[in-house]
Amino acid sequence: MRGKHSLFYHILIFVIAQLVWLLLLGIWIYWYVSNYIVFEKVGEEVSPQLIYDVQNALPFILGLILLIGLSFTTSLIFRHLNVQLRITELYDNFIGNVTHELKSPLSSIQLYLETLKQREVPVEKRKEFIDMMMKDADRLQSLINSILEISAQEKKKLLQDYRVHKAEIIVKELIEESCEKFRVEKENYRIISNAACEIVASKDALKVVFDNLVDNAVKYSTIQAKIVVSLICNSKKVEIIFSDLGIGVAAKEQKKIFNKFYRIYNKEIPNVKGTGLGLYRVKEIIKAHNGKITVLSEGEGKGTTFKLELPAYSAMSKRQLKKFLQTEKLRGA
Amino acid sequence: MTEDYKGSRILLVEDEETLAVGLEYNLTEEGYLVEWAKNGREAIDFFKSGRFDLIILDIMLPYVNGFEVAEIVRKADPQIPILMLTAKTESGDKVKGLEKGADDYLTKPFHLRELLLRVNGMLKRKSWYKGSSEKQPVFKFGDNEINFETLNCRHGEEEIRLTPQEAMLLKYLVERNGEIVSRKELLENVWHLNPDIETRTVDIFIVRLRKYFESNPSNPVYFKSIRGAGYMFEEK
Repeated sequence: MRGKHSLFYHILIFVIAQLVWLLLLGIWIYWYVSNYIVFEKVGEEVSPQLIYDVQNALPFILGLILLIGLSFTTSLIFRHLNVQLRITELYDNFIGNVTHELKSPLSSIQLYLETLKQREVPVEKRKEFIDMMMKDADRLQSLINSILEISAQEKKKLLQDYRVHKAEIIVKELIEESCEKFRVEKENYRIISNAACEIVASKDALKVVFDNLVDNAVKYSTIQAKIVVSLICNSKKVEIIFSDLGIGVAAKEQKKIFNKFYRIYNKEIPNVKGTGLGLYRVKEIIKAHNGKITVLSEGEGKGTTFKLELPAYSAMSKRQLKKFLQTEKLRGA
Repeated sequence: MTEDYKGSRILLVEDEETLAVGLEYNLTEEGYLVEWAKNGREAIDFFKSGRFDLIILDIMLPYVNGFEVAEIVRKADPQIPILMLTAKTESGDKVKGLEKGADDYLTKPFHLRELLLRVNGMLKRKSWYKGSSEKQPVFKFGDNEINFETLNCRHGEEEIRLTPQEAMLLKYLVERNGEIVSRKELLENVWHLNPDIETRTVDIFIVRLRKYFESNPSNPVYFKSIRGAGYMFEEK
């Protein structure tokens, strides 16, 4: 969509610039032809009248407008071109990253299938290989799902199963699942909560959120990832504070990390794999829940804190509830 | 197939656990001794602390990428064969890998048999080259001097460092002094018939050798082209 708009703007600016250019050129030619006698005399007597005469000053001002207009148009074109180039670059990186993320599990599955076909593999090993293949198949499925769901989310066509959940229970359950999935040992994560409140949320969507946050905490830690999740409730909203002791996010990057395809480069941990869609997807999911996500980090090497704010069920208006819940699904959890 | 090279030590550098486990199993089944490094940093540590006959190296690695690992390894050991194994398919990456010192390149997903054949081929070439260069480590022709062990060469006063592939090609031609060698033969025996490499690759390497060792590369005296047949090295 953005690509189509950019192309339209480029063409429009180009056509307008050409029209303005031709119009002003015409005026200048007219001005020159009607003043050529003055030009003949200009060497002999430079008259202040020539400069200050209103009739002659008009084309001069128009000339200035032409120059300013051209400069402005050029800078606009340049700006749009830059944006376009940046998008193309990000898109190319994304394609490269996705290709890599698709090929790695695929190679692994192919390797195990060929191994099982060509060798006499003992039963125990066979079982281990099948587990590995299933792990890779899950990885492929989750990557494909994330791409498809982002597209659906952007078109507002993604149907989520929103239900009322006890915040403490759902957050605890999902964090534990994500930590197990990304191999964060029990002693390395802590959930602090005394929040007895409810939220309207899609469990599947929140799973994606916590999976991404835990995965990032693991990928962007130089040592074992350590995670602390705090849950705070008030009458209006539920705050989930997710902190890790990873490499942190530089101040200049904090605004950009939720952008689509954006990826952080840190010399401490180069070559971190990913697609640049994770936090963008997290932001979109939280936004779809009428919530807000912000990132706080004192800088590189000082850990990262994500603050997720979701509206409390008790504070939601009837209109909001109608948007999220179908009557038969109320109190489903 | 791998009878002669059983017990060869292979350093496997791969951060994808599921792939590494499968590769380790297959290489071990072939009789090789495998050590697995999970990232670039570990790979360099393993390389410094042990002796390996071959390295299988991924490019996208945590901490230190495969290109940097290849560069470090190549500086310390000009002869160890490096097989790059990666999901990157752009020709630029391939060229960069070869420039940084890799001897061969295999893109993911790959066939198991092809990988094992390439590993075996690389060990075979290494063994041939080692045996051959031990017999005659230094070779002189005209005002050129080549040390096949260190890969350091001299052309007049000029010092040159050959890549392992250039050295192998040169060694093969020198051993067939005065004989016509076809491009196909060179591909089979020096490159071990890499299907990704076209015959043009042989021409590029010959041009490089002429540039290093001929006083007038456009009118070669030692590395002659034989029209329709191939190349011939002739010591004057």
